[in-house]
Amino acid sequence: MFRKAVFCLFLVLCAVVVRPVQGFAATEIICSSTTSTDNSGLFGYILPLFEKKTGIKVKVVALGTGAAIEMGKRGDADVAFVHAKEQELKAVKEGFFVNRHDVMYNDFVIIGPVDDPARIRGMKSASEAFKKIAAAGKFVSRGDKSGTNTKELQLWKMVGIEPKGQAWYIEAGQGMEKTQRVADEKRAYTLTDRGTWLATKDKDRLAMAILVEGDPMLFNQYGVMAVNPARFKGVKYKEAMEFVDWLISKEGQQTIASFKDKNGNQLFFPDAK
Amino acid sequence: MSSIYDSFSQALSLIFHLDAELLGIIFLSMKVSCIGLLVAVVLGLPLGVFLGIKKFRLKGILITVLNTFMGLPPVVVGLFLYLLLSRSGPLGFLSLLYTSTAMVVAQSILAFPIVAALTHSAVIGVDPVIGQASSTLGATRLQVSLAVIREARFGIVSGIVAAFGRVVAEVGAILIVGGNIAGYTRVMTTAIALETDKGNFELAVALGIILIAISLLINSVLHIVQKKGMVGVS
Amino acid sequence: MGLRLAVSGIAKSYNGDTVLRDCSFTFKEHGVYILTGPNGCGKSTFLRICALIETPDSGKIDYSLDGGLLRPDLGLRRRLTLVLPKVGVFNTSVSRNVAYGLAIRGIRSHESERRVNKALEFVQLGHKKRQNALTLSSGETQRLGIARALVIEPEILFLDEPTASVDQKNTGIIEDLILQMKKDKRTTVVMATHDREQAEKLADSVLAMKDGKFS
Repeated sequence: MFRKAVFCLFLVLCAVVVRPVQGFAATEIICSSTTSTDNSGLFGYILPLFEKKTGIKVKVVALGTGAAIEMGKRGDADVAFVHAKEQELKAVKEGFFVNRHDVMYNDFVIIGPVDDPARIRGMKSASEAFKKIAAAGKFVSRGDKSGTNTKELQLWKMVGIEPKGQAWYIEAGQGMEKTQRVADEKRAYTLTDRGTWLATKDKDRLAMAILVEGDPMLFNQYGVMAVNPARFKGVKYKEAMEFVDWLISKEGQQTIASFKDKNGNQLFFPDAK
Repeated sequence: MSSIYDSFSQALSLIFHLDAELLGIIFLSMKVSCIGLLVAVVLGLPLGVFLGIKKFRLKGILITVLNTFMGLPPVVVGLFLYLLLSRSGPLGFLSLLYTSTAMVVAQSILAFPIVAALTHSAVIGVDPVIGQASSTLGATRLQVSLAVIREARFGIVSGIVAAFGRVVAEVGAILIVGGNIAGYTRVMTTAIALETDKGNFELAVALGIILIAISLLINSVLHIVQKKGMVGVS
Repeated sequence: MGLRLAVSGIAKSYNGDTVLRDCSFTFKEHGVYILTGPNGCGKSTFLRICALIETPDSGKIDYSLDGGLLRPDLGLRRRLTLVLPKVGVFNTSVSRNVAYGLAIRGIRSHESERRVNKALEFVQLGHKKRQNALTLSSGETQRLGIARALVIEPEILFLDEPTASVDQKNTGIIEDLILQMKKDKRTTVVMATHDREQAEKLADSVLAMKDGKFS
């Protein structure tokens, strides 16, 4: 009995091991990106089209913006598609990346409980709204060095508030959608990108609303850049550049514009020059 | 937020309408776990037997190290492996980061100490008279070892089951070295983490149920085998 | 006769405790040799050294055949066997236990089955061959040990206290087995027992041991 069982298990193991690996794609590149970009569904929409055209398979590793750029800096990605322009430009200047291009944007919005305890609804200045939240509300931060987190910290700095360690300031350490859910549970405010908000507010049944939008400060620029091949030998620079070039081409830009969420909202606005 | 009941009922309907993507994830999970376990067994079993049979200096230290490594935090293993396999790390030239091979390596590292340590304790649990008896019957040294292993088989299998349990439930290490790339390195546990993050609780619950069901199945089969083999030992 | 064993000047101690001192004896003829003596007088150690599973601290164990000395290698070890007092039953069926000695010699299938059945019939365990060996009583376990030893047709069979923890009925069966072997004259039996009466009943020659020496 024991022998037979062990033998059967062994057969199963062999079957699992021997079964050939799925078809070998001609070329694969690794794109480091952010969870918010990945969760929006954009990649699921544009990558098959790109693959069909070029035969290049793009494998996306989704992390926080900080980690995504760091991953490129270590040479573990071929291309980075992120949204933290200052950090991107700095990394290009340091020689880790080349050929950075603006690709598209969406914007950040401040969301909070529908009843708006801090009374910020309709304010034109995001920083002024932050001041009021600090005084009369609670705020949930991503706390993960993501692009959204970076933007948020920039706003706190503008109004001269040091939120860390304050009782009303909660650092979630999670992705955007989870952070929204934490804010909802805690009846707190948070900064989110419009794409994530539109894609998830109904599904997650958030009792929240957009309270502040349209401040130029809330502009969220996405960029793409190739990892510097002079720095890392193994990098697939040629294929990475095909991807970059396609994203900023007329065709790529139109594809981005045509991506809509379930409710028909356009989430990203192409702006490559 | 949807209720637990809703999540479960929708999860069940997802299970009954398995799509190709879900099947792919399940298959990859099994493949990575099984190969990882296989590697761990191939390396860990002989080491455990060796430690159980031979006497040598530093043996005590080695066993303590193995027992400690049984509780190695997966995230730490993942991190070290990431730094090793990264293109700017010492093994970067292998281009293994973000592949299922890297995940297999992580799984093997996590399972190896469990297999080795539990094999060791199974082997030292065998009555020394077994080895002597096989020796009196004319066994070579290798045959004596095999007889001892055969006597320890149920304990060894328990060790392998424990290692499988760890490997199949593992998420921290394989998330870091695999990258959770859809269709390539996304397995059940990393998919559950991701879908929970995205708020797709139904899919996360469905995957969770499947994961538990598979573990349950494997454990029951082995339990039955164990029980049959344990006749008279009490 | 065939295999001949000459033991000369054997001494053995464990952690400074002397168990055997200057033991010498020559097993020349076929027959049944019984080692007697109180518990702890060194009978077991003597048997283990003779059966080549332990080495003495000093002294010589010489096996010879037709006047030629044999090297103590695997080939020689496979011509003798020792049934330990605890037997050391493998966790598998009775017949697989008995087949073990054949399996490690590469003897399998029909030949093995035939010999296993014969050995089991001899010790009157034929009806239990499919049972897990760990479920046997201590008397049956000793008989299993004897069958497992006899199946490999040893030229010298060492038995260490085969009736020490066994009921009367099984003691009778085991004694009959030894008498049968005595009659067959194929196997030399060297058996340790602390039962003097039993020794007188079975032996061709009795060796009395005391404090690690033959007296």
